Amino acid sequence: MITLQMLLVLSGLLFAIAVAGIFINRKNIILLLMCMELLLLSANMNFVAFSRYLGNIDGQVFVFFVLTVAAAEAAIGLAIVVVLFRLRHSINVADISSLKG
Amino acid sequence: MLVQILFYAFALVLLAAALGVITVRNPVHSALCLVLTFFTAAAIWLLLEAEFLAIVLVLVYVGAVMVLFLFVVMMLDIDIEKLRSGFTHHWWLGMATAGLLALEIVGVVVARGLSPQMDMKAGATPLPAGASNTTELGMALYTRYLYPFELAAVLLLVAIIAAIVLTMRRRRGLKVQDINAQVAVRREDRVRIVKMPAEKAAAEKVP
Amino acid sequence: MVLNPSVLLAIPLLPLLAALVAGLAGRWIGRAGAATLTILGVGASCVLSLLVFKQLVVDHAAVFNGPVYTWLVSDGIRMQVGFLVDPLTVMMMVVVTFVSFCVHVYTIGYMHDDPGYQRFFSYISLFTFSMLMLVMANNFLQLFFGWEAVGLVSYLLIGFWYTRESAIFANMKAFLVNRVGDFGFLLGIAGIVYFTGSLQYSDAFAAAGSIAGQDFHILGGHDWNALTVICICLFIGAMGKSAQVPLHVWLPDSMEGPTPISALIHAATMVTAGIFMVARMSPLFEGSDAALSFILVIGATTALFMGFLGIVQNDIKRVVAYSTLSQLGYMTVALGVSAYSAGVFHLMTHAFFKALLFLGAGSVIIGMHHDQDIRNMGGLRKYMPITWITSLIGSLALIGTPFFSGFYSKDSIIVAVEHSDIWGAKYAWFAVLAGVFVTAFYSFRMYFLVFHGEERFRHKPFPGDQGMHKEPDEEDHDHDHGHDHAHGHEHDHVHVPHESPLVVWLPLVLLAIPSVVIGGLTIAPMLAGDFFNGAIWVNPVLHPAMGHVAEEAADAAQMGWHAFVSLPFWLALAGVVSAWYLYMKRPQLATTLAERFAPLKKLLDNKYYFDWFNENVIARLARVLGAVFWTAGDRGIIDGAAVNGSAWTVGALASVVRRIQTGFLYSYAFWMVIGMALLLGWYLVGAR
Repeated sequence: MITLQMLLVLSGLLFAIAVAGIFINRKNIILLLMCMELLLLSANMNFVAFSRYLGNIDGQVFVFFVLTVAAAEAAIGLAIVVVLFRLRHSINVADISSLKG
Repeated sequence: MLVQILFYAFALVLLAAALGVITVRNPVHSALCLVLTFFTAAAIWLLLEAEFLAIVLVLVYVGAVMVLFLFVVMMLDIDIEKLRSGFTHHWWLGMATAGLLALEIVGVVVARGLSPQMDMKAGATPLPAGASNTTELGMALYTRYLYPFELAAVLLLVAIIAAIVLTMRRRRGLKVQDINAQVAVRREDRVRIVKMPAEKAAAEKVP
Repeated sequence: MVLNPSVLLAIPLLPLLAALVAGLAGRWIGRAGAATLTILGVGASCVLSLLVFKQLVVDHAAVFNGPVYTWLVSDGIRMQVGFLVDPLTVMMMVVVTFVSFCVHVYTIGYMHDDPGYQRFFSYISLFTFSMLMLVMANNFLQLFFGWEAVGLVSYLLIGFWYTRESAIFANMKAFLVNRVGDFGFLLGIAGIVYFTGSLQYSDAFAAAGSIAGQDFHILGGHDWNALTVICICLFIGAMGKSAQVPLHVWLPDSMEGPTPISALIHAATMVTAGIFMVARMSPLFEGSDAALSFILVIGATTALFMGFLGIVQNDIKRVVAYSTLSQLGYMTVALGVSAYSAGVFHLMTHAFFKALLFLGAGSVIIGMHHDQDIRNMGGLRKYMPITWITSLIGSLALIGTPFFSGFYSKDSIIVAVEHSDIWGAKYAWFAVLAGVFVTAFYSFRMYFLVFHGEERFRHKPFPGDQGMHKEPDEEDHDHDHGHDHAHGHEHDHVHVPHESPLVVWLPLVLLAIPSVVIGGLTIAPMLAGDFFNGAIWVNPVLHPAMGHVAEEAADAAQMGWHAFVSLPFWLALAGVVSAWYLYMKRPQLATTLAERFAPLKKLLDNKYYFDWFNENVIARLARVLGAVFWTAGDRGIIDGAAVNGSAWTVGALASVVRRIQTGFLYSYAFWMVIGMALLLGWYLVGAR
């Protein structure tokens, strides 16, 4: 029997892994985007778990929309990366610091 | 019993794959680990009897988004050598933060619980026999959530346009006809009358 | 019958209108237009003043005391334009407009070749307006307005030839010294408002008794009688305006201005504003013996010591200026012994003969081609007869020759001082008597040196002082005195003076007539009769001096004959004889005496070092203070700390804060996550 607790712990750990991934990576923008997908996945996991255990379908509807937005965001993010690569010929995040005050 | 064992197995694979995403050097391998993560997540959702979403996850996320990722990773001429040089200097700070975060979340869930009414250690109430996740989802989506549904569609349209606009480039030096400019031309732009005095000296110099 | 408010309003406004038109549109209406307009304005004012005089004095009209226009009401204090027309006012109005009219006519001749012709007429008309507003006021605010306005016009006129540095120095000096007086004046007015809550004269006079019973607590622990303090403060204003010691220093310097204004402003009218004000405030001053003693001592000091200075002056206008200072001292002395009507009477007669003397001096200056040094003159009576006769009349009136106007007014003052017993009266009596001798001496020194004796203008023993008081545009100066242009700039050969044109000597004659007759005609009603009843109030028990004067003044002829056996007459005669002896008979004796008493002469030449003190101590202190405030306060604190300092602080803060803007994506994300972790931790710990 799967308890809600286990699912929530699982999604929490997934979230932590994704955050760690954002921090320890400083060289690859694409890796950044992939960690963002992981974050969204952990949130989706939460939604589905609660939807199942509260008996409310609204959670799954929300997952639907999150998937939509995540797809759109990934597409645009990658488009930006492509343009950035055209300009800088590098995907090193450390090179993108023009906003430095 | 079986369900529980399957769940633990899937959970382990999920976490391992996630760790793999962030630790492997080769970005293509990273993307592939991410694909594995999504597959496993879909499997877990199947265990939770959310079959529609599990399939959608595979189809949309793995099938479209991850493919896009792989496209970009392989298209950009990334210098693998530089990437191999390892993690950042202060990687332990990031690990510490993430560890702190994990601790807090687990602490909330396990130690305190979220709400007095809900028993988090209980199993899910079993669904009735012929219940279909898809039907239920459809019912909710096309009645109560119709407006957000349409908005989501518009959002996707915007994303398409944005992606195209961002990456479109025009080739320089290309001679293309601009019909509007051609039709809108005026006489003054094309013809200029220059008055010059007649050359009398030349006529007189004729021997 | 009732006085017509429109007529009263027209009296000051007609000169104002003329002044505005002549001043602003001078170029369009031309010189003749400006002159005609302003003379018409002042002339009409004069005629109307005489009309009001007749209505008030002869037809016994009711005194007019009412508002004309309310400017604003603040905290219960009404600030309005109002007129108080009673015998005192109307006497002043007649004097001011008449003398102003004479000066306007005189100016046509005197300023004939000056490029600022229209401007001058505008200014003197403006002055007439200001002075009229001052004397016709029924509240302190309008009085102060007129006070300041005459000060302003005096400044403008002293510095009329503004390209001359000495003129600018003089007009600033006049204005600043007046300002010191005005400060005291304002304090006095503030005191009145503090106690009565009103600016009206009537309210102040009604409250005089109650104010006398109250005290001011000033300077921690000292109690001063409120009325004394207020009266002294008001008198300080009068000291500034009427040039009493030590605020007298501006009057001799004001001779930098053209002679017509020396006559109008610094002899007849503006300097008498202080005397007028004290007389007007007689209900207040009667309540404070201390203030009266203060006034008495200051006046006596001025009367005597300024007279001494008149003896050593060589500039004809300066002699008359110091004479004015001395006579103002006499008027102040009269006020001090509560003989207000005698003081005002002397004001009136003095206005006539002093203006006459100034205009006469001006005529001499024109004749001498703007050489003002009396050591270069002499024997002018043959060449300028009308000027000679009128100047003689003026001088006789000044020294108090029996039956002339000056005698009646001066003698009344001397009698009043003799019979007064307030503190300082003995000193004042000595001062005014000695002053009679001194006055006669310097007046006739000037008279003899200018009109009699050797014709020194033929060889000009003191040519170096030539350029002292000339007009600046001497080169283009086109004298219309009938001289040819051959002489041009240099003065190697002799100009024989000749009489000035009609527009110059006619005012002299016009002024000479009242200098002779007005004293005898008006003394009885003014001093002995009830002319000033209701306008001036004297406490007959405490201050019996005026009563004695009234006895004498009741019969003018009798007073005149009685003079020949009184001390002042003999003192004056002694003064004339001494002057004749020292300057006509034995001139070397004068020089010998000057050498023998050299330190005394030095003291007199330096005007008792008042100017030195003002310039080197007070002015220097002010400049040092200003420099300190500039460097420390303005540059250091305001510019440095406040303005630049705040900018620097912003810059410093910004350069620290901008380190947050790394432009580095990861640091932003890092901080966000840290914040999130902290929030979660807070939730965990227990805050809901």
